[in-house]
Order: sequence, then C-alpha cells, then structure tokens
Amino acid sequence: MNTTRFAIASALAAALVLPATAQAQPNIEKCYGVAKAGKNDCQTAKSSCAGTSKTDNQADAWISVPKGTCDKIVGGKLTAS
Amino acid sequence: MLALPDLQKAFAGYLSGGDGVDLARIVRGDSISAAARLRIHRHHVQQSLATALAATFPTVHTLVGEAFFGAMAGSFVVKDLPTQPVLAEYGAAFPDFVDGYAPARDLPYLPDMARLDWALNVAFHSPDGPRLAAADLDSIAPDRLLGLALDLTPGSALVPSAFPIDRIWQASQPGANGSQVDLAAAGASLLVGRRSDDAAFVALDAAEAAFVTAILGRATLEAAAQAAFAVEPAFDLSTSFGRLLALQAFAALR
Repeated sequence: MNTTRFAIASALAAALVLPATAQAQPNIEKCYGVAKAGKNDCQTAKSSCAGTSKTDNQADAWISVPKGTCDKIVGGKLTAS
Repeated sequence: MLALPDLQKAFAGYLSGGDGVDLARIVRGDSISAAARLRIHRHHVQQSLATALAATFPTVHTLVGEAFFGAMAGSFVVKDLPTQPVLAEYGAAFPDFVDGYAPARDLPYLPDMARLDWALNVAFHSPDGPRLAAADLDSIAPDRLLGLALDLTPGSALVPSAFPIDRIWQASQPGANGSQVDLAAAGASLLVGRRSDDAAFVALDAAEAAFVTAILGRATLEAAAQAAFAVEPAFDLSTSFGRLLALQAFAALR
C-alpha cells in the first residue's frame, strides 16, 4: 500500500471511531412541505370546479411579472454560469 | 364516427392544444356548444396538472406566486402530458422547461430551485431502507475499505448550483423572516435525501460535493477521496466521511 492509499485508508478508518459528539453536524433542512403534499391520482373537487371555465385565458400574454417571494432575492449575477 | 384509438388520439391532441375540429363534430352540442364542452375538459386537465405541479414544486410556486406559476405550469402541461398515472411522479422535465421559459429569465436561480424541489419530491417518495452505520464498517480491513463502493440511500441526489439555493429555499419557507438573500453570495451544493418521515438536504463544500458525486457514480471510497483531494488538497476526509455516516447518508451494505 503506497503512502496516499495508506493515508486514505487511515482517514476512513478514523471516521468510524469518531465519537458522535465530535462529528460536526451540518444544518439539516427538514422539508415539511413535501410531507404534507400527499398527492394522489384523483384530483379534488376543488380543481374540478376551477377547471370548468369555458373560456381560454391567454395567461402568458398578461402575466409576465412574478409576484412571490422572489422580491427577497436581490443583486448578484443575472445569468447562471 | 371515429374508431376508439383514433378518438383517444384526437382527444389527447386536443388536450395538448390542438384545435379539436374533428372532435367537435362528434360531441353533443345541445344546451352548450360542443366546443365549450371540450374546453371544460381541457381546462380541467390542465388545471389539475398545474395544481399537482404546484404541490411538487412548492418553492418555485412560492417564489413566483400563484398567477405566474399557473401560467408557467399551463405552458408546460400542454407540451408534456403525464405518461404514468401517479401525479407525484409527474414533472421530471419541469426544471428544464423552467430553464427555457422566457418570462422567468430574470430569475436565473429558478431552474435550480425547481431541481431542488424535484429532488426533495423524489427523495420523499423513495423507500426508506436500512442505513449504513459506522459499526457496519468496523470489521472491514482498511485495504478492503478502500475498494468499497457504497450506495447512498435510495432517492438521494446532489443538487449543485452557482446560486445560494439553500438560502433562497429558506427565504421561501412559510414563516420565513423578511430578510433578503444576496444572489451574489457563493453557490451551494446540496445533498438531498430521505429521512425517516420526510425529505431533507444538507449543504456540502466543494470537496465534499466531489466526494459524493464520485460515490453517486459508484466510485470506490479511494477513488472518491482522490476526487475530493483533486478539488481541495486539504480535504478533511475523516470528518466529512464521519459526518456522512452520522447523517445516515449511505444505504446498508448489500
């Protein structure tokens, strides 16, 4: 076993005996929103009612401005790169 | 009269935005017109699917608001009707759609938020199997440990982003305080996984992300460690591996 492999093996082995208190716990973000979704294959009567409009609404033509919490995200890059 | 397969095909075409001319001829038109009857069906399908997408992509929904989300989801639905019956599995292509959705281009982080929402959805709906504990590896000789290829728990995914998507996610939660997120802050790589009763994510640094990416690609622990050292020579393998074990990020040995 060369030096690098030995170092990696030692580090891995050391991880196994770290006391729980020495393991830095990162912030875990729990996602309650996912759990409450509880979707199934049959949508509810509410959606059914909402869907009974007989006219087409050309939503894209007039909804061009997001109106949610994105106004809290400010500055920075304008493109993903 | 159309044969059943042709009728179904024509109806599916209409739901996807077709003009429905061939259908209107064979749908009853008394009391309300055939075209109006057909539109009710189309609206019902589109709005049900948009509602399902809002439940699967709650962060995106919160970020852009109801009206914008409805319009964006509606545009997606006509291009990509479900191919399976489970609505929780619908929307795999939505993040890429958001990426190309012109009205959202001023929100460059939005596609990554959609990827995070999707990853959380997949993790949440994955089976919760047995986890690997440090004690399971105790008896394995060090040189065998090097050659071990571990599995992350089913449904785990790494969501890398050039944007601080963990902070954007926090700012979008119900009850979040009103503080702003600076988009110029460093990007984040989030490891998403199933927990006992929900889905969750943790932020990884660049070297840890390289380590986990290699493991997701079925690399051995030695190769994964090398990948992390290539990113950051001072990578603390013991601490990071110990932390992943403590998080129960790995599936039990097969």
